[in-house]
Amino acid sequence: MAQHVITPTSARPFDRDTINQDLLQPVLHTSRRFYGLTSILAAFVLAGLAAFLFQAYAGLGVSGLRRPVFWGFYITNFVFWIGISHAGTLISAILRLVNARWRRPVTRCAEAITVFALLIGASFPVIHLGRPWLFFWLIPYPSERGIWPNFRSPLLWDFCAILTYITGSLIFLLLPMIPDLATVRDRTAGWRKRVYGAVALGWRGTPREWHRLEMAMRIMAVVIIPVAVSVHTIVSWDFAMAPVPMWHSTVFGPYFVAGAIFSGIAALIIAMAFLRKFLHLEQYLKPIHFDNLGKLLLVMSLLWIYFIVAERLTVWYGNSTPEMAVLLATERGKFLPLFWAMVCCNFLIPFPILAIKRFRTVTGTVIASTTVVIGMWLERFLIVVPSLEFKYLPFDWGHYRPSWVEITITLATFAAMPLLYLLFVKFVPIISMWELKGGEPVAAPRVEAASSWTQSRVPTEEPLPGSVD
Amino acid sequence: MKRRTFLIFSAASAAGALVDVTHKKGLPGKEMIRFIPETKLVPGVAVHRPGICTQCPAGCGLDVRVMEGHAEVVRNGQAGLLRMGLAKKLEGNPEHPVNLGKLCARGQAGLQVTYNPDRIGHPLKRVGPRGSGEYIEISWEAAIGELTDRLRPLASQVDSSGLVFLTQPLRGQRQVLIERFLSVFAGSAHVPFEFFDDAVLREANGLSFGHYQLPTYDLANSRYVVSLGADFLGTWNSPVAQSLAYGTMRQGRSGVRGRFVQVETRMTQTGANADEWLSANPGSEGNLALGLAHVLINEHLRSAESAASAGDLIEGWKDGLPQYSSEAVAWKTGVPPATIRRLARDLSAHQPAVVIVGGSPLAQTNGLFTALAVNALNALLGSANQPGGLQFSPYAAGFAAPAEPRKGVLSPNELAQQILTGRPSPVQALLVYGANPAFATPPGWQVKESLEKVPFIASFSNFVDETTEMADLLLPDHSYLESWLDHVPESGTNEVVIGVAPPAMEPLHNTRATPDVLIETAHRLGGRAAQALPWKNYEEMLRSTVLPLRHFPGSVAAGSDDDFWKKVQQQGGWWGTTTGQTSKSASRPASFSPVKEQQPEFDGSAKDFPFHFLPFASQQFYDGRNANLPWLQEMPDVLTTAMWGSWVEINLQTAQELQIEQGDLVEVASAHGVLQAPAVPSPGIAPDVIAMPVGQGHAQYGRYATGRGANPISILGPQRETNTGALAWASTRVRIRRVGKNGELCLFSTGPITWGEKQLKR
Amino acid sequence: MAHRWGMVIDLDRCTGCEACVVACHAENNIATVGEKQAAMGRAIHWIRVERHWEGEFPNVRVRFQPIPCQQCDDAPCEPVCPTYASYQNAQGLNAQIYNRCIGTRYCANACPYTGRYFNWFNPSWDKPLQLQLNPDVSIRESGVMEKCTFCFQRILAAEANAQAEKRQLRDGEFSPACVQSCPSEAMVFGDLDDPQSEVSRLSRSDRGVKLLGEVGTFPKVTYLTRES
Repeated sequence: MAQHVITPTSARPFDRDTINQDLLQPVLHTSRRFYGLTSILAAFVLAGLAAFLFQAYAGLGVSGLRRPVFWGFYITNFVFWIGISHAGTLISAILRLVNARWRRPVTRCAEAITVFALLIGASFPVIHLGRPWLFFWLIPYPSERGIWPNFRSPLLWDFCAILTYITGSLIFLLLPMIPDLATVRDRTAGWRKRVYGAVALGWRGTPREWHRLEMAMRIMAVVIIPVAVSVHTIVSWDFAMAPVPMWHSTVFGPYFVAGAIFSGIAALIIAMAFLRKFLHLEQYLKPIHFDNLGKLLLVMSLLWIYFIVAERLTVWYGNSTPEMAVLLATERGKFLPLFWAMVCCNFLIPFPILAIKRFRTVTGTVIASTTVVIGMWLERFLIVVPSLEFKYLPFDWGHYRPSWVEITITLATFAAMPLLYLLFVKFVPIISMWELKGGEPVAAPRVEAASSWTQSRVPTEEPLPGSVD
Repeated sequence: MKRRTFLIFSAASAAGALVDVTHKKGLPGKEMIRFIPETKLVPGVAVHRPGICTQCPAGCGLDVRVMEGHAEVVRNGQAGLLRMGLAKKLEGNPEHPVNLGKLCARGQAGLQVTYNPDRIGHPLKRVGPRGSGEYIEISWEAAIGELTDRLRPLASQVDSSGLVFLTQPLRGQRQVLIERFLSVFAGSAHVPFEFFDDAVLREANGLSFGHYQLPTYDLANSRYVVSLGADFLGTWNSPVAQSLAYGTMRQGRSGVRGRFVQVETRMTQTGANADEWLSANPGSEGNLALGLAHVLINEHLRSAESAASAGDLIEGWKDGLPQYSSEAVAWKTGVPPATIRRLARDLSAHQPAVVIVGGSPLAQTNGLFTALAVNALNALLGSANQPGGLQFSPYAAGFAAPAEPRKGVLSPNELAQQILTGRPSPVQALLVYGANPAFATPPGWQVKESLEKVPFIASFSNFVDETTEMADLLLPDHSYLESWLDHVPESGTNEVVIGVAPPAMEPLHNTRATPDVLIETAHRLGGRAAQALPWKNYEEMLRSTVLPLRHFPGSVAAGSDDDFWKKVQQQGGWWGTTTGQTSKSASRPASFSPVKEQQPEFDGSAKDFPFHFLPFASQQFYDGRNANLPWLQEMPDVLTTAMWGSWVEINLQTAQELQIEQGDLVEVASAHGVLQAPAVPSPGIAPDVIAMPVGQGHAQYGRYATGRGANPISILGPQRETNTGALAWASTRVRIRRVGKNGELCLFSTGPITWGEKQLKR
Repeated sequence: MAHRWGMVIDLDRCTGCEACVVACHAENNIATVGEKQAAMGRAIHWIRVERHWEGEFPNVRVRFQPIPCQQCDDAPCEPVCPTYASYQNAQGLNAQIYNRCIGTRYCANACPYTGRYFNWFNPSWDKPLQLQLNPDVSIRESGVMEKCTFCFQRILAAEANAQAEKRQLRDGEFSPACVQSCPSEAMVFGDLDDPQSEVSRLSRSDRGVKLLGEVGTFPKVTYLTRES
């Protein structure tokens, strides 16, 4: 049985009951603040939904898109949210593989971001369609005339990659949730017990189950990393495969992946800070976590500035007329304020905060992360729009300005993320309890104990009756 | 479910849905009845019928593509559906000598005249006050009855009937018909009017060459072309014929490429194609022409005598034009003396060469002087009536009004004065056909005010425009695709061309061809009137005039009259070398003394109004008649890319000095009016010139034109060319000021005006 | 027999008159979008005449360049379309199948010539302007991309005619609406695979250049440069 026992390595100041009580508190008790916040966020989301339905009914013309800027806010949001999705799964998987122990309270929180950001991001390619009701034509299966979709199109790669990533991320999120859901099942009664019982998939905590869970998690952690890298590479290829000035660049793949992880970590830090504050998880999400993630963010910030310099310097030295038009428009022309705001947000502000240990506090990292999220949105916008506004023939250059529809839908997605998160926290313990418990300093597993965490953690051959906690 | 049952089921439910809809609306009486369809049509198969374009005076031949379709039409007061041939596309008639199968943008868009939603569909009688737009629908019987009743007392007048027929200039049997109709009314007048008329050039050509008509330029054989202000590739004279020839001039001859220099103050579409573009001071073009002649004569490249009589019209010609030395001319025109000398030598060296003049240079108070000067230069170059030079289309005797000096022809200005003062005789009734002087005359001419004073106005217009709005009786004409057409082009070909075309399609509305209405009115008036117009209808009139052509060599050979008439219709007309009579070369009046140098006079002082104001024929709307066609509204002006509105063109540097940016709302004021429009700074306009396209700013012209943009004619001064009395529409001075930020400029190209190395290196 | 349709546009002949623009509207049922939409940059002109200013007053010059779809051999618009709405047909034309288009607008971004136009709303014609519609050309609904087809309906009609008469298509037998109307005969259309055709003769001219040839699109439209 020893191989199933997770060896305690770091001292933890609380016992299993505290964990259960602290972490199941939001699941079992609903405050008025929750309802208030949910309704406000839901109102925004509904407004966005209404705006989308209006757009689908009236025509895409209600957006601010126009020739030659055929992609605008929607694709910016798409890239941004897919980028944010790299917070979780990738980080969590890497940390799992390198067995970084400080990850334990962070993983689920991160993986949830991945799934929700992906759902939001993946909705944008549908929202932006001229005929959104036909979105299923992107699905790779032949039509009744035997015509398959075009596998040469990066959009189809996108579809496949994102679908794979969503599936993988969901599994990656759900698998380690099973033991915790079982815990909730054991601590509730009535309809809740039935619901949680169903989603816990009959988890009994047998050694076979534990073994399989461990194996599955290891496989998933290995598989999900190339998937995640490929997803954002493919998103970057949506741009790089078109002969558009400043899009058509070999650096785009790694540049996008780096940017995605960058913005993902920033989003994770912000989410953690909120959880810590509102769910009173100060004892679980500790400054050390913010410090560690802050260091990671620092590395990504440096990587980001490296890529942006690499991209722009080569264009500048290359001095090809169409690319220079875009470069000058972004750096010195009409996009100048946005461009330099982006550089400030992504490097000039976060770099000193994160580099100096004294500033790398919870507050410090949150400030840095907030600027990074803003900066990365601007970066996506500055990738999508200037190249289209200044594409090849000066006669056809245009000016894009988003309409209220696009702004409403964009705001709605920024409300959808916390809303989904809030609901998730409401129904699932946001910190992986069993993993945390695994890290607890206990002398030896008590096989005979009836407490739920032991049941879950320490497998026995016989299924045990319900929890007494 | 089996497929068959399913289909039956769906058909049944679809039918049910239809029944349901009509039932719900509860309008069984409004269900469309179906008229007996045209039987010759095969669905999906196009037939091509000839036509004649009436979008501008050039008279290009049309090839109308007609296909089967279902149209809601009105027949005998009953609305219904008719399966009929519908015009689907206008192409050029490949046989027609003027346009040889080509057609310009305005011609192509003419389809939307017929299908325009704002067409007047039936006769209307005014019930509200004038201009209120309150009409009641009446029958044709009642409408023609009303017209007859109004005209009958006038027909019996002995000295002056007070009847005036205001039309666009007509070339063909419509002109003959109207003249004959008016002959019944003592002292009646026919007032032909359009804004961009070329009366000055006709007069000059009559004096210089004995042809009171516009020239045909044989550009296809020219090696050097200098154009003074003429937009000959866009809007002036016969643009399609000239474009065809221009293409050949540039690249149609192996090893020879004609060179082209344009001189103007604001770059036109034509000027944009020039190898060399020069700007000369407004009204100084005559000086420039004589400056060139001076060089040619004094450098012994040409002898002054070679200009013959055309040269004699210019004072000092025989003496080598001493007052037109390059330096003196350079000072007046702003063109450097070296350029003048180079141009003159090039003109001489590259023969055949031709100098074209038209448009704004002739719309100055000294227009005739300018035109005569250019004619003398052409004569000096040996370009008159020569291949590669300018020629005159042979005269089509019996089909168009003979070319005559402009005398005794009223302008709307004089007409307005006659109406307002009642002298020499009061105007009792005004008939309007295809002219819109209320839109296209300067306010100082008081046309609009005068219309209110006329006791009776009847309009034959297709649309309610500013002039028709004043009418008491509206007798809508067929569209030109629905009518019998004939046209004798004034220029654009070396053949005698008589365009004749039957209707390309049946009428959509309860309209009636104006010639037929006039014939019927004459018959109802009886007596002399019925004798003056003896034909049953216009078709018969055309037939009877065309048939004699059978005996002349031409494009149609036929054994019988009927066969001939059929073939003429199929071909869209008849063309040949002669119609039996030679062109009457009108000789120059003996009293005409050589012209002195004449300086242009401008309306408004240079101090108060520092800019010259140049209204120009719009590429989209010509003189405004096409402003109600959505295709043309959305067609970008090629130089500014402006759509759906008017704009004020101003020099880039001047605009910078005045802090006017593209799209800013600016106010242009003359001594006669003020207007506002968005600014378009342009590199192709002189620093002291403000230009505006004519065509927008309609107060009343259907949904696509009404209230759109501003009308530059509304601020023009009333002054006229001193010799001919033609409106000098380019001689007003204005001032400009910036009003605000958003002038609501609608441009197709939102890119920078210029982009290149300079911007990249900045 | 397969053809490879191409076009030559002589910029020394082109006068910027825009007859081609209106001819295209009339032939291809292109909707007018109205002032507000046009001002936003949503006007549809399958062929447009670009204007390039050079120099400053008074030494100022203008160059016109009519730009229809260049019908590229290696068209960037084609591989990016996920639904094959944009594809190359057997005659080498970059065709657009409106029914397959779901409106990703990727093709329009990829096109270096900005030669693709989107239907931002459903087109409409004030009655009875709908009677002008060409029954040979379908109208496009909101949300689909459209572009120059080299008047494919005319190609089909001419081929059907030739077939019925059991003969080969003749050079110059038919042409797209823009070519047909061009008053200065600046445009020539024909089969590039036929070495005798006017269009292939002219496209081999010394003056011939491809627009944005460096992008590697291999356009089937050749421009003959102005000689001044």
